Amino acid sequence: MSPLTDTMPSITPAAGGGRLLVRRSTAERRSWAGELALAVREVWESRELVGQLVLRDVRVRYHQAVMGFAWALFMPLLIVLSGTLVRVAMATVSGNALAPQVLGSTAVKGIMWAFFAGALGTGTQSLLANKQLFTKLYFPREVLPLAAVLAQCVDTAIGGTALALLLPFLGGALTPALLWVPLLVALMFVFTLGVCLFTSCANLFFRDVKYIVQVLLTFGIFLTPVFFEPVMLGPVGGRLLMLSPISPMIEGMRLVVIEGHDLLRPLVVANAKGVEVLSWTPWYLLYSAAWALGGLAVSMRIFRRSAVVFAEYA
Amino acid sequence: MPTPGIKVEGVWKKFRRGDVHDSLRDLVPALARRLVGRRRPADVLAAREFWALSDVSFDVEPGEALGVIGHNGAGKSTLLKLINQIIRPTRGYTEVRGRTGSLIEISAGFHPDLTGRQNVFLQGAIIGMSTAEISRKFDQIVEFSGIEKFIDTPVKRYSSGMNARLGFAIAAHLDTEVLIIDEVLAVGDLAFQERAFGRIKEMSSSGIPVVLVTHQLERMTTLCTKAILLDGGRIVREGTPEECVETYATAVFESGDRGAHLPFRLTAVEVVSPSPVPSGERVHLLVRGELDRGAPPIYDLHLRVRSARTGKVVFSTLGVNCGVGDLPPGEFEIEVELQLNVGQGIFSVETAVHDSSRRQDVAVGPHAHLRVSQSTAFNGSVQMNPVMRVVGERTPRLVIAADS
Repeated sequence: MSPLTDTMPSITPAAGGGRLLVRRSTAERRSWAGELALAVREVWESRELVGQLVLRDVRVRYHQAVMGFAWALFMPLLIVLSGTLVRVAMATVSGNALAPQVLGSTAVKGIMWAFFAGALGTGTQSLLANKQLFTKLYFPREVLPLAAVLAQCVDTAIGGTALALLLPFLGGALTPALLWVPLLVALMFVFTLGVCLFTSCANLFFRDVKYIVQVLLTFGIFLTPVFFEPVMLGPVGGRLLMLSPISPMIEGMRLVVIEGHDLLRPLVVANAKGVEVLSWTPWYLLYSAAWALGGLAVSMRIFRRSAVVFAEYA
Repeated sequence: MPTPGIKVEGVWKKFRRGDVHDSLRDLVPALARRLVGRRRPADVLAAREFWALSDVSFDVEPGEALGVIGHNGAGKSTLLKLINQIIRPTRGYTEVRGRTGSLIEISAGFHPDLTGRQNVFLQGAIIGMSTAEISRKFDQIVEFSGIEKFIDTPVKRYSSGMNARLGFAIAAHLDTEVLIIDEVLAVGDLAFQERAFGRIKEMSSSGIPVVLVTHQLERMTTLCTKAILLDGGRIVREGTPEECVETYATAVFESGDRGAHLPFRLTAVEVVSPSPVPSGERVHLLVRGELDRGAPPIYDLHLRVRSARTGKVVFSTLGVNCGVGDLPPGEFEIEVELQLNVGQGIFSVETAVHDSSRRQDVAVGPHAHLRVSQSTAFNGSVQMNPVMRVVGERTPRLVIAADS
């Protein structure tokens, strides 16, 4: 990756009175802040392209698939079923009765995980799959992983709507805590986008990255509190589990939707052995947000810096 | 006050053959090398690096159309990619002033499962049109493409010609201030080519600066106001389109290095007969090459005659065997005679060595150009009754004139 270079568009008034876009391409680098500002501006200017790419992905996914839109429900449903099975097994071993809210908890967390896993799967391949576009035409390359993540949002919105209709029967309650949902969704989106920007560009240079991502996703579900609550691992294990950047988003979603817990307040619960364990602290939220925003900024920078040689490596 | 245009200033572009680490396993040694090794300045060539473009500069102002010609590998595509900002220069800069329309890979964004209508919006967005703009021009685009009946059919059922026509129709309706064109004049049938060319001409004569890369030399001379001739990444001629075409058509260029592992290579091809050659007459060519050691008798000299106007191959000597592998080692010369059963125009004669066991060209040799005078209506593929003879051998080595 030797010739790291940059593009410097500037707007000057054209002779005709309109604005003339001047794009200059040289071997010079620009500052981190300038780089990020440029990326954001270019992506914003390409928002209609993003829309069309999302439309393409969604159409192609549903148009010819046998299951059609049921496909959007299938993945989360599978996760919920596996999660429920795990919980039934745990209840059987411990001899305790299965809590009635378990199905709702697993469903809420399952749909979060399904979004992350689905977006990462398509997002990682989004650059390589559109090689014929970016090796021939100019547009901000960020739109490709962005469109992949947004297309996954469409899937998740379908699953989420179905879940919202079912939640009253699964232990969910209408509480003011639900106001946290948009923030958690936004954090999840930002974090996933950051990861996809990084993995999509890594996958372009190293073709085996997609396999590594698949392996990590397969085992990652056990390193995040999808099938169980962190408190079940005890005081230390629970905290360790929350170190995964998406753990607070997933666990927070459960607390908000099922428990009606206000995320600004810490929560201490007694686990099965009667030990008091910290289940939630507002710091978790801050920790997760730092990962999401910092991760996005870092991966946008890596993406931009390497985007100048995408066409030479693809 | 800036006006729309394109400026390329002292541009150098370095490429590397091979050595792209493809799996993570290669990352660690690569990083280690980078830490230990000294950072080379950007303008020094490392092993296996080469300059795809060296010190290229030009300006295209409103009302001007620049034609870029040169053989395959001369750097034309690299230059267009640099202007389009798909790759960045190693040194120097490119500047595009104004909204750019690229007639390059005009149907690259099509998704086979989507209908023509859906793809118009997708491709339009990819080349930078807003959805409102596409909606407004949708009927015009479809009418121009001439595929109204199939607009709601998935494009995977389209022929390649229909694909190209729809793609061109979209690109041609982009409101652009600068136009960059790569070889799209060869899409679709002849009637559509005429329309496409007419549309480009219309845009160009309205004052839009144009950069055109093409092998269709005659089209280039009618459209362009100036031209550059590239060879080996350098501008070897700059001037009027006619001057550049003349240089291009008469020069003998060095061959590329494809097939370097083979024990032979073609070094030159030369037109012996005086130019221009009247249509229907026989032309004499001389192909020179070198052989390091004997090779199996599966390698034959292969010549193709390509029309510069249409870019299509009108004649190939495949089937006429003139082996090069079983010649005595050293330099060799092969005389070739072709009967020019073609109409007036410029033709390129491409040389290669054909591997008859794999049925493919294994070493690409140099090209030469022929001017054919006097127009007789010949079209499509023609028979040129070739004769090949190894110079220095008393008897013609293999003289087979197929079909005669």
